[in-house]
Amino acid sequence: MNGWGLRSPASAATSLVVPLVLVVLTAAVGASGTPSFEGTVTLILCNLIIVLGLQVFIGNSGVYSFGQLGFAASGAYAAALLTLPAAFTALQTPELPKLIADAQLGPLLSTLLAAVASGLLAGVVGWPLMKTSTLAIPISTFAFLIVAYNVLANWDPVTGGSSGLVSIPRTTDVESAGLWAGVAVVVALAYKWSASGYRLQATREDEVAARSIGIGLMRERLIAFTISGMLCGIGGALAVHQSGTLSPDTFYFAASVTTITMLVVGGARSVLGAVVGTLAVATVNELLRNFEEGASMFGLISIGATPGLAAIGLGLILLLAMIALPEGLSRGREAGEIEPIRRRLRSRVPSTPPAVAAMDQARPRSVRGSAGSLRAEGVSLAFSGLHVLRGVELELPPGEALGLIGPNGAGKTTLVNVLSGFQAPDSGSVLLDGVDVTSWSPARLARAGLGRTFQAALPFAGLTVVESVAVGAMGVGVSRRRAVDIAADVLERLGLGEQAQRPAGLQPPGNQRLLGIARALGTGPRYLLLDEPAAGLNDEERRELVAILREVIQDFGCAILLIEHDMNVVMDLCPQVQVLDDGETVVVGSPEEVQAHPAVVEAYLGTSYVAGAHA
Amino acid sequence: MTDLAQSLIDALALGGLYALIAIGVALIYTVMGMMNFAQGEFIMLPAYALYVLAGLPFAVAVCAALATGIAIAVLAERVAFRPVRNADLAAQLVTSLAVATILQSVVSAAVDARAQSVAAPELLSESSQIGALSIPNLEILTLALTVIVLGGLGWLLYRTRIGLEMRAAAENFEMARLLGVRANRVIAIAFAISGALAAMVGVLIVMQTGQVSPTMGLTPVLVGFIAVVIGGFGRIFGAVVGGLVLGVFSSLLGTYLPDGLVPFRDAIVFSLPVAILVVRPQGLLGAATGQARV
Repeated sequence: MNGWGLRSPASAATSLVVPLVLVVLTAAVGASGTPSFEGTVTLILCNLIIVLGLQVFIGNSGVYSFGQLGFAASGAYAAALLTLPAAFTALQTPELPKLIADAQLGPLLSTLLAAVASGLLAGVVGWPLMKTSTLAIPISTFAFLIVAYNVLANWDPVTGGSSGLVSIPRTTDVESAGLWAGVAVVVALAYKWSASGYRLQATREDEVAARSIGIGLMRERLIAFTISGMLCGIGGALAVHQSGTLSPDTFYFAASVTTITMLVVGGARSVLGAVVGTLAVATVNELLRNFEEGASMFGLISIGATPGLAAIGLGLILLLAMIALPEGLSRGREAGEIEPIRRRLRSRVPSTPPAVAAMDQARPRSVRGSAGSLRAEGVSLAFSGLHVLRGVELELPPGEALGLIGPNGAGKTTLVNVLSGFQAPDSGSVLLDGVDVTSWSPARLARAGLGRTFQAALPFAGLTVVESVAVGAMGVGVSRRRAVDIAADVLERLGLGEQAQRPAGLQPPGNQRLLGIARALGTGPRYLLLDEPAAGLNDEERRELVAILREVIQDFGCAILLIEHDMNVVMDLCPQVQVLDDGETVVVGSPEEVQAHPAVVEAYLGTSYVAGAHA
Repeated sequence: MTDLAQSLIDALALGGLYALIAIGVALIYTVMGMMNFAQGEFIMLPAYALYVLAGLPFAVAVCAALATGIAIAVLAERVAFRPVRNADLAAQLVTSLAVATILQSVVSAAVDARAQSVAAPELLSESSQIGALSIPNLEILTLALTVIVLGGLGWLLYRTRIGLEMRAAAENFEMARLLGVRANRVIAIAFAISGALAAMVGVLIVMQTGQVSPTMGLTPVLVGFIAVVIGGFGRIFGAVVGGLVLGVFSSLLGTYLPDGLVPFRDAIVFSLPVAILVVRPQGLLGAATGQARV
């Protein structure tokens, strides 16, 4: 390690401790309270575990799933059936396999098995669900919830049908629920800060940019979905051992709304948010429920029995949170990331100046001297009849810089999209070191050593600068620790070291452009496609950019394809320039040759100029 | 042969009902980019209007139901959805979930959480004899309404100024605004139409099931969502196809499924769309998505 980290150890510890303290505190309060109060606190803790399960998937992916309660249900049913005595199962679920029916496990083993069962179910169900598009996941997971309900309510001989199960051993006490909630907090934080968690968060911030750094969207979502299902299953299993009864309605739509409200009110992006939101909403809910039964406030205002008040209150809280507090009470921060706490932590921990790791160490692959090149062969593409590319040939040898210029609409960006796998060509092929990669996904190409940037910066706004770059390395499968080293090195070289711990979304435009390049460099590319990196930069920034890119070519041994309108930048950097016009290559040659080429002059300055020059 | 024809007509009628639900969902999605959970409550509240006004002449009650649907949709847009108009899809979805919860629990508190029965007028519970077929009048009404609504919507979208504005807003909201499309008006009208459609659906469902309950909108809204998704996002007539496919499939399953599996019909029906989406993520009619952003 070199003194750099994705966060300081103190901040990580603080983030971990605060939710844990809350959990322990509720357990202590429960322990000293009346049995009914204890029961309430236990159920809140079970809810908290489910909400933490939701946070793992929803918070990190940014995609809402309405189906996670289906896994709480599966966990609850598994735990209930594994603990019910054989005599009871014979009555309630006559056709249950004998092995399960006869099993009468203890609370720990049944909870663990429930977690495994729910995790497995989430993995199996998640596989098709995660294949559906980002827009469709909320709906397909909602469909799953209804399918699960339908099966549980109608498979009478195995699940007890719509009337449900009774006489389930009530083994969950407030201490064990508190302990499990603590475990769930640690799991949620550990996932969030794992390489996989960072990759998923990157897809939340920008799906397209995430794919360009090698992140497989579906895979990461499926991992989180499975862990989430497991946590929900634990929550369900503990809850059913608290209440002693279970029906298909227990974990259905109403419970989905309640848990999603808790997550949203607290702030879905942080584990702290899940804890705070659960406690806040549960408290208000309990208060409203007291009013439902009729209560008086300070002996002054008396309210008659109003059934349904709690449900209305819940809906109103959710609505107000969405309108007035879209980031939730935690604003998406973990405890150690809250500004006053952060400042205190920083004053205590002496900041170590970052040591620049030797690049040969940090780089994931040996990149120099590899044979082959990035080639496009006869690439053609038309959008509904409009021919954007017509048989374009391109060759980018390793360690070289090639400028790609041409007027607006010439097809430059489309060509980069084809090369990087974002757009399939109608005909022709793309070869990476002699291998036909035409049908490869952007993520796979990134893992094979092809990086790119976009005309828009597409920052991972919710991550810090160092996280944004490190996630690029994690995207291509580098370990979390090495990813930090790589990020540190790249940021130092690009002069962004000072900004490392600041949010990427708050960087000025010039830095965001550099950050886009840094992020791509984090993947250790052998070929880097830059789409107008100098756009919007001032003269000084342009000069710095040229220096940085020259260093990239020299030190990283990385070949660059540079789309750029600023001819000075192209001339400075590229020994070879290819001119594209109307989807066809006009000329390839040195900058001088290209500038002298009549067709280029014509394309850039118009025919009249050419005619005038010759007259 | 008669059996087949009979079950095909049943299937078409259910498909028509689902298409009507889907159009309501799709209209709001196209114009405002929001998947509206509360569409189910736009269906449920007009149904309760029928229940409350059971003593009045049926025609009056139906008009009141339509008025309820339009009013609640416009009100929900003004109070809840306008403030989150620029939020992302997930935030809008959760906001509409909140509205749905509030409306559901208000009805639970004000009437009852349990289902209440509503009698259908005799004409709608009878069947008409057409050749060898005996077709329930309710199915004839459903099919007729589907055709009329589709025709009317086609006319509105492609032959009127407000329709043009809606289509422009659907293509590019900001650009449409710059060109003088009054966003608030266009969206309010879309919600009003969607509310009216939901009210029609609510009336049809009550006539069919003979009862109302606070959660009666849940399955229809899911049907609508799924129809929109399998039809291809943002395409109103894709949603119609999605609704028809789902309804016909569901109805035929009901007829031809072996007895032991009948209780699991919903499970099978709602697994179908996921299967379709795995094979065609862009939906049945959606074009393969271009990379618009890069």
